[in-house]
Amino acid sequence: MDSVSNSVRWLGPARFILEAITLSLAGIALLLLFIVVRRAMRQAHFRRREKRTLEIRRDWESILDGGILPEEWRFDPLSREIIETILLDRLEVAAEDEAEVIRHCLRISGLLDMRSFEARSLRGWRRRQALVSLGRMRVPEAIPALAEGLDDIHDETRIAAARGLGRCGLPEAAEPILERVTQKQLRLPLPVLQNALLHCCRARPSLLHYYVRHCDDSLRPTLARVLAEVATAELGEDLVLLASDPLPEVRASAARALAGAKPRLALSALQQLAADEQWFVRLRAVVALGILNDTRAIPVLLQTLCDPNRFVRLRSASALARMDGHLEEIIELAIRARDRYGLQSLVSELQRSGAMMDLLEALQHREKRDSAAKVLLGALRAGAHRFLLDALVHHQSWRVRIQVARLLARSGEKQLLQPLKLLEAAASRAREKCILQWLAARLEEAAAPGPEAADALQP
Amino acid sequence: MIHTLLVINNLLFLYYLGVNLIYLLLLIVAIYSSARHQQLLASIRLDRMKESPFAPPISLLVPAHNEEATIVESVRSFLALDYPALEVIVVNDGSEDATLANLVREFHLLLTDLVYVPVVPSKPVRGVYMSQSEPRMLVVDKEAGGSKADATNAAFNAASSPYVLVLDADNILEEDALIRVMVPILSDPERVIAAGGIVRAVNGSEVERGRLQKVHLPRKAVEIVQVVEYLRAFLVGREGWGFFNMLMIISGAFGVFRSDLVRAVGGYRRDAIGEDFDLVTRLHRYMLDHGRDYRISYVPDPVCWTEVPGDWTTLARQRARWQKGMLNTLWPNRDMLFRPRYGRIGAIALPNLWLYELLAPVIELIGLASIVTAALLGVLSYAFFVKFLLFGFFFATMISIGAVMLEEITYRRYNDWREVAKLILTCFLEHCPYRQMHLYWRLQGLWQYMRGDLAWGKMKRVGFQPAAARK
Repeated sequence: MDSVSNSVRWLGPARFILEAITLSLAGIALLLLFIVVRRAMRQAHFRRREKRTLEIRRDWESILDGGILPEEWRFDPLSREIIETILLDRLEVAAEDEAEVIRHCLRISGLLDMRSFEARSLRGWRRRQALVSLGRMRVPEAIPALAEGLDDIHDETRIAAARGLGRCGLPEAAEPILERVTQKQLRLPLPVLQNALLHCCRARPSLLHYYVRHCDDSLRPTLARVLAEVATAELGEDLVLLASDPLPEVRASAARALAGAKPRLALSALQQLAADEQWFVRLRAVVALGILNDTRAIPVLLQTLCDPNRFVRLRSASALARMDGHLEEIIELAIRARDRYGLQSLVSELQRSGAMMDLLEALQHREKRDSAAKVLLGALRAGAHRFLLDALVHHQSWRVRIQVARLLARSGEKQLLQPLKLLEAAASRAREKCILQWLAARLEEAAAPGPEAADALQP
Repeated sequence: MIHTLLVINNLLFLYYLGVNLIYLLLLIVAIYSSARHQQLLASIRLDRMKESPFAPPISLLVPAHNEEATIVESVRSFLALDYPALEVIVVNDGSEDATLANLVREFHLLLTDLVYVPVVPSKPVRGVYMSQSEPRMLVVDKEAGGSKADATNAAFNAASSPYVLVLDADNILEEDALIRVMVPILSDPERVIAAGGIVRAVNGSEVERGRLQKVHLPRKAVEIVQVVEYLRAFLVGREGWGFFNMLMIISGAFGVFRSDLVRAVGGYRRDAIGEDFDLVTRLHRYMLDHGRDYRISYVPDPVCWTEVPGDWTTLARQRARWQKGMLNTLWPNRDMLFRPRYGRIGAIALPNLWLYELLAPVIELIGLASIVTAALLGVLSYAFFVKFLLFGFFFATMISIGAVMLEEITYRRYNDWREVAKLILTCFLEHCPYRQMHLYWRLQGLWQYMRGDLAWGKMKRVGFQPAAARK
């Protein structure tokens, strides 16, 4: 015990407590001073900046067409920063003719050369800032300097260079990235790589397609995923070929690409992919079929509605729910398939997609009422009890509620009686009670044995 | 006896020195890390990220229990968030007030027969509602589970996205908060498994239709002191621990997680009191058990505004609950302490929580007792005692002012000079008498837990303040 006590005492915390207090007080004073001085400086800076921005905006046309020589503002850091910001912000939203004027200004003012120089010679965050600005200029001359950024030793700088190239949005900007990643000289986070390629390859997807076919298997899924976003109908046959690729990830992307590009043979290729051995390929194919929204795909989608994978079933249901004008037939066929999970998915999706809501609305219109009622009756048989009962008491329109009551009466579903009684007990308004009582009476009649009951079911 | 007292006092001094030095280190790291984050943001254009087809869908999980005052505005603000693929799942956790009725009325909800698969356990679901006016919204009505964890699990079961973001129903997210919190995930989706943003106090600010219009510092002392606490906890604490990849808490009010991993760890523990802390701890455990390289990130700029307790009683209840939650998580995970398999989490992060968070009120109580005893025995050096108190006070105040400074150089939500002055003044008052009250509440929490009182307690909410009310 003594030794512990002595050692602690030897540490002598008491000896330097005064110094600690002084240091803490000095720390507090410094922090407060920093806050006050910084606030004051920022206020002054922004006031100056605001004034300068106003002056620049006043002379904007002359700056843009070179009437005011760049030498007059380029060497003043504040003016240069403001002008570059305005130019780059406008470039983001400019139409092509205005963009050309801005790019011309960037070239003749020396801003482009200056940023290229900075992107090559500076280090750390200054280099990254230069790379980003250079990318935003969207000129082909910026590409070499940006490409050099891809070889930087720091991850963050390489990422900034890739983002800069992406912002260029030119097919030539994709080449340095693609060359380096395929030769394993560059590793980038997936979203950064994909976004950069997405923006660069939009104008020339064939460039990406070449690399998808020729690079090694570790990279092909990533590139194929980007291709799926930029593919156009011109790649038609090539996309169909990708649909039979040995890599499942590439097949899945091919399905996505087929949905976007919609080439002539898309439907048959997707129908084939919907029977793929990998669930995620089937899933992509089913989603793509939903996007194509072609009624010829209904039989395949009804098959995938009974898929062992839950996600494939849900997506098939989602695709089927979009087939306007065929819902009655689809529900009928789904009931006949006798797959409970598939049917449940379909009913869920009809509700989630808003199709059931639309059908309820359609009940208000005489010309659409019959077909809507048929689909809703089918949905009721498929298990949409809660939805229709809820619409009966909560739908905004009384007209819809009455139509739903008639529909439920027509269904003769005896299992509705029990929840109806509960609803009736909870109903507060006389009109609501009246509808519920009427419906309960109809259903009880239908439930009663005898030939009259069968008659009561007739519409 | 005197020797023992001497040892205790010296150990206590070292303990306080330790906790303050840790905070000083965290402050320095946080300044560096914030500066790096600002530079990173300068090279990212968030609008580009928002347009990207590669942005993964997110399900917003919003458990709500008796939130009638704020639920509608909150949900509206969630639906207005700027993110390409979003679904909002609200869980009415057996509310006894008009939470569900308000939702049904405002969003024209209808009961549906949607597929609900209970992948992670929760109390029975009474029904799933969908909105006639907003297809991205689902409401799950369930029996009261007695915990936020249970409600979040129910929301999780209804979610269909690869990422889930858990929010409190009384929160307001800034419009670009989602894309900002996703920045570390989009930059490194393989490694980053969860990310959390900053939570700030909305009390006193102007809110219109679920949107924050203008930020103000609250007027009541009880609220301002929490603003300082939140600044210190998030801008210094979370930022610092996050830098070392030792983040143990992602606030239950605002955190995004990878769905497959939440599923793999079995969702939230239903009887957890501090379910956010518990989930993050289990995620650490899961990833380290499987030897996987991962990161749990903190992002300082996506802001979630929350209503903090506006009276001392509610605050006391909340803090007692937090303390119970900490014990409720640390105790079942005590086997992680100092085991090589759990690396820096077992060696540094968890021991730090045990020593400087969970046991802090007990140690401080022992300290007080030893000082009183020493005074009674006539062996207390009053000069040293006063210096000791002064040191503790000034050092802790310096850390709090450091947090305010960090706020000043980075995010500057409080622009008015007077508000900053008030914040700094509160930094001085926070350590006396607020700290002592806080100590008492935390002790209460520990005591309640020992007695088996695991109830959440009622949280009084007044709702958001519109601009007119402030004027």
